[in-house]
Amino acid sequence: MTTATLEKSPQAKPAKQKVMLVEGNEAAALGVALARPDMVAVYPITPQSSLVEHVAKLIADGRMDADIVDAEGEHSVLSVLQGGALAGARTYTATCGPGLAFMFEPYFRTSGMRLPIVMSIVTRDGITPQSVWGGHQDAMTVREVGWVQVYCETVQEVLDTTIMAFKIAEHHDVMLPVNVCLDGNYLSYGTSRVELPEQAEVDAFMGVKDVNWHVALDPLRPMAVDPLTGGSSGRGPSTFVRYRKGQCRGMQNSLRVIEDIHEEWAQRFGRRFAPLVEEYRLEGADYAIMTLGSMTGAAKDAIDEARDAGRRVGLIKIKTFSPFPVDALMKSLDKVQAVGVVDRSVGFRWNCGPMYQETMGVLYKLGRHVPSMSFIGGLAGADITVGHFHRVIEATEKLLSNPAPTEPVWLNEKD
Amino acid sequence: MAMFGGAYNTIAFDAAQCDGCGDCMTACATVKTGTVDKTRSRIQIVDSADDGFELALCRQCGDPKCVTVCPAGALTKDGASGVIDWNAAKCVDCLLCTVGCAYAGIALDAGSGHVAKCDTCDGAPACVPACPHGALKYITTSRIYNEVGDWEDLFAPGLAGCQGCNTELLMRHTLRRVGPDTVLATPPGCVPGMGSVGFNGTTGTKVPVFHPLLTNTAAMLAGIKRQYKRVGREVNALAIAGDGGASDVGFQSLSGAAERNEQMLFMVVDNEGYMNTGMQRSSCTPYGAWTSTTPVGQGSGGMPSQGKTQDAKNLPLIMVNHRCEYVATASTAYMEDLYDKLDRALEASKRGFAYLHVYSPCTTGWRFPTNQNMEVARKAVETNFVMLWEYNPRDGLQFTRPVDDPLPVTDYLKAMGRFRHLSPDQISHIQSKVVENLAFVKQMAHRQSA
Repeated sequence: MTTATLEKSPQAKPAKQKVMLVEGNEAAALGVALARPDMVAVYPITPQSSLVEHVAKLIADGRMDADIVDAEGEHSVLSVLQGGALAGARTYTATCGPGLAFMFEPYFRTSGMRLPIVMSIVTRDGITPQSVWGGHQDAMTVREVGWVQVYCETVQEVLDTTIMAFKIAEHHDVMLPVNVCLDGNYLSYGTSRVELPEQAEVDAFMGVKDVNWHVALDPLRPMAVDPLTGGSSGRGPSTFVRYRKGQCRGMQNSLRVIEDIHEEWAQRFGRRFAPLVEEYRLEGADYAIMTLGSMTGAAKDAIDEARDAGRRVGLIKIKTFSPFPVDALMKSLDKVQAVGVVDRSVGFRWNCGPMYQETMGVLYKLGRHVPSMSFIGGLAGADITVGHFHRVIEATEKLLSNPAPTEPVWLNEKD
Repeated sequence: MAMFGGAYNTIAFDAAQCDGCGDCMTACATVKTGTVDKTRSRIQIVDSADDGFELALCRQCGDPKCVTVCPAGALTKDGASGVIDWNAAKCVDCLLCTVGCAYAGIALDAGSGHVAKCDTCDGAPACVPACPHGALKYITTSRIYNEVGDWEDLFAPGLAGCQGCNTELLMRHTLRRVGPDTVLATPPGCVPGMGSVGFNGTTGTKVPVFHPLLTNTAAMLAGIKRQYKRVGREVNALAIAGDGGASDVGFQSLSGAAERNEQMLFMVVDNEGYMNTGMQRSSCTPYGAWTSTTPVGQGSGGMPSQGKTQDAKNLPLIMVNHRCEYVATASTAYMEDLYDKLDRALEASKRGFAYLHVYSPCTTGWRFPTNQNMEVARKAVETNFVMLWEYNPRDGLQFTRPVDDPLPVTDYLKAMGRFRHLSPDQISHIQSKVVENLAFVKQMAHRQSA
């Protein structure tokens, strides 16, 4: 199941759900509360701050039973949670941008220790140039560190995915930390109607908590955690290699687990989200544009208008960016003759967007030439409007007959 | 059942009080031989080279050479009392024991034709009350060693410290005291470098142990402790960290955990640099010290490189200013003082943040002979280069071993190679800093105790 529509599944039995009007940061906080973590550690940073403020208030009001640690910085935030997880706690935090950069040292280690910590990245562009606004540069910069990373499109998807993230992370075939990425500004502060699942229904969905069965710091189960492994001397690097290989296996397993858990979510709560890759009006399309995150809403509107105008264009949205859903994306790309990829961040090394770079790898595996091009937009919180997407569609359509440009198109360059 | 028994007792001698009157010898001879023949006394006061007196007496050694060399099994160490017993029925009168003893504590008693030695008169030595000047005392020694010997050593045999390093001693004592219901954090440095966390699937520790990052020890331990508190389990959170990680790159997480009063015992083993990685400078390295990143050289422009150019950061005083539940300095040369502090720190760690800063000389990095560790540690205290004190918010700061008549700091500096290059100006800088630091801590002791 790699494609999905927003229609409710026919066999779904929607539970009784409270309807609220909330911003994305509050939706994430409500999702966290429903997942019942034992411990959250927080340090504020724009545009994440209101998320942890909501979490703190939920705890202060007795609506969430978790130990909250107001740590002195993101580095300690994640370190506290590593300790908590090793002692058996379900754990959560959120950060972005410079906070994620500061956190990098324990961030790298979390996936290596296979700790199922959930962390929202309220995505923010990288500094410098100085900016406090949205952009995917932070999350893209750490895409090669062994965390599962999923990107949300809507506020409802933020709430639902935040809950699902705990179950994905703690699945015994995965045991990896998960980032739920929600676009700074657009999803963090964007206010929408959401349906709030019942606690009892979420409890039934989550099942029994079991987060440190594989590694623990517990006097009842004494073990040495992360002793030095061999390298060029002694017993050699085989232990190290086995651990790395296990991480990769966990990442690959997560593709199936993410699909299964999204399906279970749809069955229980009546809301179906594409787990890996979403196709939108791709049937009968000659070419496609690719999107990630909240920009997809405007892109879908542009696709609708273009289709009405007779253009044979469809849309492919990535939800799960890490691990990259190679097989699922390959199936979608196999349906088109050209593709334009819109990134909200920069890949400095290839002079294109990072998602475009990943897509080129998938296109190579397709075994036939599919012309493609990179668009970079929405940096530093810039809006990618329906108008911008019409430019994307027009430029991509030209790939069917003209040579592909060698430079990326910078969508907001003259805004 | 105790492995070593209770505390051991011995007869202590204060040479400064002794006038050589010989009353002790008379008392001993009377009790043991029924004569007043001082030559038959088992305690002998003899002239010393400096016109004073020395004591020749059995010290009831912990590692007695007389017992080792005896070919007949006539000498045995009593596990309960600590007294070395002589068995007349087994003795073959070979006198090898008298050669083996460095203290002249066992000698031929011409009157009996056998060796004789002190047996402490079954715990009430006749010599002690006989001394008119109070030069002899019957005291309990090594209480802690005997108690600690009865607790389980929670490190495995075979940790690989440098020869002459006392950190292994410190670690083993500490974990024995803190006990098995403990999670131990040992950030990168000498402590895990010895193999405490382990290599390739083996470990040197019998309690849960881990490498935090160099930077996040206090934060990770806080998370562990909090989760056990949440589920109602009593688990000790213990860090044994180096000075580099604590005072430099790990300082933020240390300070943050102290400010939040996280419940843990954070021990810093201060060897004044990054000794495990090759003796680089840390902010705890003292002024003037050679390290591999503050080397000694000709320099340029007539300005020679003469070791570290800044004074050490005083980390324990910084921790006092966090108003921790407990802060203390300690030295491996004063284990009883250290043990008292370990007790109080462990107790305080059940309420909040407890910090113990242990000065630990590094034979490899400080460049002194491997048999000089305790001597160097002791000299640091005797010169006031290092001060031993403790603090809690209720009683303030108090010296635990005040040194009112300190030796000149050169007595400490000359004991090791890392200060060999110092100029007279550098030495006077260090001496003036010792005076300044003492005044500062005294002021704190006065203010906070008032």
